[in-house]
Amino acid sequence: MHTAAVGTPTSPPPVISATAVSKSWGDHRVFSNLTASVTSGVTGLLGSNGSGKTTLFGMLLGLHHPDGGTLSVLGEDPSNAGPELRQRIGYSPEHHSLPNDVAAQDFVRHIAQVHGLPTREATTRSSDALWLVGLGEERARPIGTMSTGQRQRVKLAQAIAHSPDLILLDEPTDGLDPVQRDDMLELIRRVGTEYGIDVVLSSHLLEEVERIADNVVIIAEGQVAAAGPIDELQTGRGGMIVVVTDRQAQLMDALRATGLDVRDDGSRLIVGADIGADELSDTVRDAVARVGAPLRRMSPMQNSLEDIFLAEVHGR
Amino acid sequence: MTTPTPPPVPGSAPTASAEIYDRGYRRYDGPRTGVRGASRSVWVSSVQRALGLRRKFRFKIVPILTILIAYVPAIAFMGIAVLLPSEFAGEVVADYAGYFGLISIAVILFTAFVAPELMSTDRRTGLLGLYMASPLNRGNYLVAKGTALMSVLLLVTMLPIVFLLVGYSFVNLGPDGFGETVELLGRIAAGGVLMSIFFTLIGMAASTLTNRQGFASAGIVMLLIGSGALAGGLVEAAGVRNEVQLASIAGLPFEVIARIFDAPNEPIQDVSTWEAVGAYAAVCLISIAVIAWGYRRLEVTK
Repeated sequence: MHTAAVGTPTSPPPVISATAVSKSWGDHRVFSNLTASVTSGVTGLLGSNGSGKTTLFGMLLGLHHPDGGTLSVLGEDPSNAGPELRQRIGYSPEHHSLPNDVAAQDFVRHIAQVHGLPTREATTRSSDALWLVGLGEERARPIGTMSTGQRQRVKLAQAIAHSPDLILLDEPTDGLDPVQRDDMLELIRRVGTEYGIDVVLSSHLLEEVERIADNVVIIAEGQVAAAGPIDELQTGRGGMIVVVTDRQAQLMDALRATGLDVRDDGSRLIVGADIGADELSDTVRDAVARVGAPLRRMSPMQNSLEDIFLAEVHGR
Repeated sequence: MTTPTPPPVPGSAPTASAEIYDRGYRRYDGPRTGVRGASRSVWVSSVQRALGLRRKFRFKIVPILTILIAYVPAIAFMGIAVLLPSEFAGEVVADYAGYFGLISIAVILFTAFVAPELMSTDRRTGLLGLYMASPLNRGNYLVAKGTALMSVLLLVTMLPIVFLLVGYSFVNLGPDGFGETVELLGRIAAGGVLMSIFFTLIGMAASTLTNRQGFASAGIVMLLIGSGALAGGLVEAAGVRNEVQLASIAGLPFEVIARIFDAPNEPIQDVSTWEAVGAYAAVCLISIAVIAWGYRRLEVTK
C-alpha cells in the first residue's frame, strides 16, 4: 500500500494525518491500515461509493473513533479534542435535506453561532458568506424554496461562515447539473485559494477532483491506493512520449533492449516504465544518442487521475 | 449562476443611503462561545421554532391556540370573580390545583405538537449531523433541546396559574399576606416545573422513536389519552385495584401536583403520595432511557 505523503518533507505540519487507522462497522471492515497525510490547500478524497469517505469524515470530526491507529486533525486528536477542534472545522454533509421553512440567513447564522461565533459576528458573517456563494439577494428566502444548486451553496456558506481553518465537503456537487457543478467547483477553489481555508472534498468523480484539487487521496479497499500532489502523480508514473523524425523503428528496438515497455503510437513512441522519471529520461536520451535518431520531442506523459485510479485500484 | 459579487453600476456615485453588502471573506480570530454558546443558540432557535417565531403564520396557529386554551379560562374565572360577590365567586371559580387539570388538554396538545417539531425535524433534515459536527455532543444537544421544550411548556403549565394568582389577588380571592403568597407561588412553581419536566420527557421519548413528525404526534396523544382511558376502564369496569389508575400516564403529574396542593384527586385518593411520586419518577426514568438509547445508536454523519 501507499504511504500517502501529500506535500513535501519541508511542508508545514499536515492538516490531517492518519497512521495505520482501522475501522469496522460490525463485520464490515471499512479501513485497514489506512495511512495518509494531507497538507494545506484543496485536497480531493477519491473513492467509489461505499469506500468509506463519509466514515473518514466522521472520524475526522471525532464522531467515530478508529478501532486502531492514530488520527490527527489540525494537530489534535479528534477523539479527545472534541468541541475545541470541531469549532475550527466546517462540515457540509452529503444529504440535500435542510430545514425547509427556515430562511437561508437564519440557518447559516444559527450554524455559525453553534460553532462559537457571538451573535453579532454570526449575523454579519452569515450574510457575508451568503454573498460570497452568490446567494446574497436570496438570503431571506426559505431554504425549501431553493433549487438543489442553491441548497448546495447554502451548505457551503454554513461551512465557511464561522471562519474555520478546515472544511470537509462531502460530495458537494452531488445532484448538480454541469453548469451548477462548474460554478460550485469554482467556488470551492476560491475558498481553498483565496480565503485561507484548507478544503477536503470527497467525490467519486475523478474529473472534478482533478480540476480543482492540489492534492488527492485515493481510497480503495480500505487503504490509501495513491496520494500526493496531483501534478506529481500525473507526471511521476506516466512514462514518456518520444517523437523522432527518422529511425523510429530502430529507436523502438533500442529502448526495448533496455527492458522498457515501448508502444508505437503512429508518429510517436509511448515509453512506459516502472522506474523514476529521471532514470527514464536518461535511458531514453542514451538510446536516442546510440541510434542517432533526430529527436524532435521528449516529454513526460501526463496521466489523468482516471489512469492513476484505474492503475491503482483495478490493477492491484 | 448567480454572480457572487454584485457588479458595480458604471458611473454611479455613492449616496448617503448606499450600503456595502459584499464585504468579502474576513477571518474571525476573536473569542468563541464554546459549548455554552452552542447550547444557548440551540435553545433560542428551538424556542423560536416551537412558538412559530420567524416562521409563516400557519406555524403560529397551534401555539396561539394552545395559549388561548391555557389562559382563557383564567380570564373567565377572573371575570366571574369580578362580577359575582366574593362568597359566590369563591364557590364557582377553579382553585389552583384544579386549574392544572383544566389545562391538561392544552398541555397534551402542545407536547404532541412541539416535541416532534423540535426533535424529529433535526433528524429528518440532517440538522442533527451539523450539530454533532459542532462543539455540541449528543448529551448537551439533548439538554439544550429538553430545556427549550420545557421552557415553552412552562408557558402553558406554570404561567397561567401565576396569572390566575395575580388576578385572584386583585379581586380579594388570593392568599392572605406575603408569607402565604410566597408559599403558594412555590407550590405553583413546583407543580409547573414537575409537569413540564414530565411532558418534556414523554414528548422527547416518543419523538426519539420516529423521524415522522405526524407519527410522533399521534403516538404522544395515543399514549397520554389512551393510557388514561385504559386505566380508568380497568378500574371502573373490571374493578381492579385503585392503584391501576397510576397507569394513566397523563394523569400522573396531575396526581403529584394535587398532592403538592394537599388536594388528592377523588379517584385515587387511597394511593399514597410515595406511590404517586414513584410512578411519576418511573415514567420519567423510562423516558430518559428511551431517549438515551435512541440517540446513542443514531448514525449522524449521513
